[in-house]
Amino acid sequence: MDGHSAVVAVAATKDRSISAALATATCALLGNSIPAAVEAQEEPKWDFNTSLLYYGEDENRVQDLSLKAIIRRMFVDDRSLTVSLTLDSLTGATPSGAIRQDVPQTFTRPSGNAAYEVPVGVLPLDDTFKDTRVALTGNWQQPVGDTSLINVGISASKEYDYFHLGLNGRFAKDFNKRNTTFSAGISIAQDEFDSVGGVPIPFTSMLDVGDTSNRPEASRDKDVLDVVLGLTQVISRSLVVQANYSYSSESGYLNNPYKVLSIVDGTTGDTIARTNPGPLLGPSHEFVFESRPDDRVKHSLYTQAKVFLGGKVLDTSYRYMTDDWDIESHTLDVRYRWPLSDRLYVEPHLRWYSQTEADFYRLSLVDGAPLPAFASSDYRLGAFDAITAGLKFGWKTANQNDMSIRLEWYQQAGSIPGEQLIGNQASRDNYPDLNALIVQFSYRFKL
Amino acid sequence: MKTATVALLLLVGGCSSMGVEPWERDILAKEEMQLTTDAAEGATDDHIYFSKEASSGGRAFGGGGCGCN
Amino acid sequence: MGSPCELLTEATSERSARVLASVVADEAWRIEDKFSRYLDGNIVQRINSAEGAMVQVDAETAQLLDFAANLFVLSDGLFDITSGVLRRAWTFDGGSTVPDNAAIRALLPLIGWNRVIWRSPAITLLPGMEIDLGGIGKEYAVDRAILKLRAESETPCLVNLGGDLAVTGPPVRSAAWTVGIETMEPGQSDTALRLRQGALATSGDARRFVRANGVRYSHVLNPATGWPVADAATSITVAADTCVQAGMLSTLAMLKGADAEAFLDEQAEQYWCRRSS
Repeated sequence: MDGHSAVVAVAATKDRSISAALATATCALLGNSIPAAVEAQEEPKWDFNTSLLYYGEDENRVQDLSLKAIIRRMFVDDRSLTVSLTLDSLTGATPSGAIRQDVPQTFTRPSGNAAYEVPVGVLPLDDTFKDTRVALTGNWQQPVGDTSLINVGISASKEYDYFHLGLNGRFAKDFNKRNTTFSAGISIAQDEFDSVGGVPIPFTSMLDVGDTSNRPEASRDKDVLDVVLGLTQVISRSLVVQANYSYSSESGYLNNPYKVLSIVDGTTGDTIARTNPGPLLGPSHEFVFESRPDDRVKHSLYTQAKVFLGGKVLDTSYRYMTDDWDIESHTLDVRYRWPLSDRLYVEPHLRWYSQTEADFYRLSLVDGAPLPAFASSDYRLGAFDAITAGLKFGWKTANQNDMSIRLEWYQQAGSIPGEQLIGNQASRDNYPDLNALIVQFSYRFKL
Repeated sequence: MKTATVALLLLVGGCSSMGVEPWERDILAKEEMQLTTDAAEGATDDHIYFSKEASSGGRAFGGGGCGCN
Repeated sequence: MGSPCELLTEATSERSARVLASVVADEAWRIEDKFSRYLDGNIVQRINSAEGAMVQVDAETAQLLDFAANLFVLSDGLFDITSGVLRRAWTFDGGSTVPDNAAIRALLPLIGWNRVIWRSPAITLLPGMEIDLGGIGKEYAVDRAILKLRAESETPCLVNLGGDLAVTGPPVRSAAWTVGIETMEPGQSDTALRLRQGALATSGDARRFVRANGVRYSHVLNPATGWPVADAATSITVAADTCVQAGMLSTLAMLKGADAEAFLDEQAEQYWCRRSS
């Protein structure tokens, strides 16, 4: 070792001791109050919100396994980019809109290349429902000045028979020491139904296997415009409330291309039998494809209150919705977050929902009677009440990440207006009640 | 729309006596007191109810973007 | 001190916030009044104008001078509170005036803590020498204010004197205090830090330099040569238990020039170093 490198080695040793010597010198300067060790780290730049969802309806109806990731990249000065990805894998059967019969019924599949049979007294379900859905959203958010925030985004989703593309923007401004926030948002979307086997002309009959003469178009579009105006107000140290008014206008193809109505006898209420072309070669009875108006305007008022009650948080919201299809709905949602310890909480959840039927909702259409302007037997346009009851457990992991699991039961019970029931229909269960189980596991972590 | 704006301004003005001082935001700043606490759960619910009921949105945009049979 | 003084607190009433603010302000002004070399009649002024006479100092001043003496040794003479006289030759205002070598050489005999006779509590400077506690004062004031706040209340507080800051502890309403590190553009920041405990100090100033003949001279001067340290970083932020430690480490790292990162890596402290490319 030559003299030069020896000097360097001494200097290096000396450097290593500087931190400790400095601590001693600082202690002498500031007195013996030993400060706690420094804890500093760079602010996380990534926020990952991931979840796995199982949604399952009873009686082999819709099952959905869904994977969702909401990824947020945070930049300084409160700017952020949020990208979300959802993958849904759907299987199962869904009501076709036809009613139960005392004889077996045969239906042509939506694809038009096969038929299937529904046994006596069983609610007709279309069992070929199988789809994968991919949905992507991207949003950029940034402050404007000291009191405003803008957010612009894009959304797209693709299923086998459906494509959605949307743009949205939102502006929020704080007033009154940030106790009041006004927000306005607009969203436009264009959706395209590429229904399997072509889009059927409304009110045309379900045809034999192989006959696509009533499906001249491969796809139809729908345009959606949403406007949301919101006001958030801090009332006190432990109470904050929000009120939103939403306007939504849809126009274009608003039908469900797979839903049909049964054509029934005006006295017995039984579906009119067709001269069957042969076993499994076409429909056994008369069914026509549904017909909905080509526009719909919805208005809704949403209010939410969140109150802190000595560690527990009560979150209540109510929504009133009305539209020009004559549907009115009320939704009441209550959640109560109850901390069991610093790291663990339990949150019971109850939701009540009630809607009236659309003015064109029909259980069936009478053979020979003049056709109404519009008709649909989609159970979602009927009158029903629904209840959701759930329980969520949430906890913080050792590295301050959030995990939660929730279990919820969703139940729909509908009714058909008495005057719509004809003859034998009165003795049958016409409304497809629905029971579903929701299990969702979420993990949120930051990097 | 003009009437709506005026009404809104009056509402904002009327609220100015409510609220808290900046240093009284200890509780409001908690994560569980944010109006949206779980974005993934909210988006999931919006989607489920959109596909099963005739109403949608309210809390935010209407959700949707699916064929939802 | 010529820099903004800021207190962030989680006090729940305006009254208690005002009490805490006055604790910080009183301590900062007291230290400023006592140790600023710009103010007439204080201890630093008396030492600097003693013209070779011995000056007796109070206990607090003695502690600061002891600290400065320790730092001089620890830094092999790079950290020197007598180097302030170089300001007579250098003006770092973003301009292009570089002093001539003769002017600097003339000042060098007036620099060097080893030329000072320090027998606590008495100090004797050579005539014409000056001490300047500006390199310690701000960080010292932050730590002193934190001590006073801790004694006054348990309310979480953050004290920020012109970018040198410390906290009394983690905040209650969130997991950590969020502090941004400024980029070269004042008011812009590209790195956000979460500070729960301890202090942050930054050395360097993007606006203080001289540019001449295509060379950018930083304001970090080597007391041995009187010339700017070569390849000094633009700014260095260090996290440490106290603001004094953070400030001294960032200052020493600046004085190491191109070796700043290597020096800080040796110290195993967290730091953020910015260099102009």
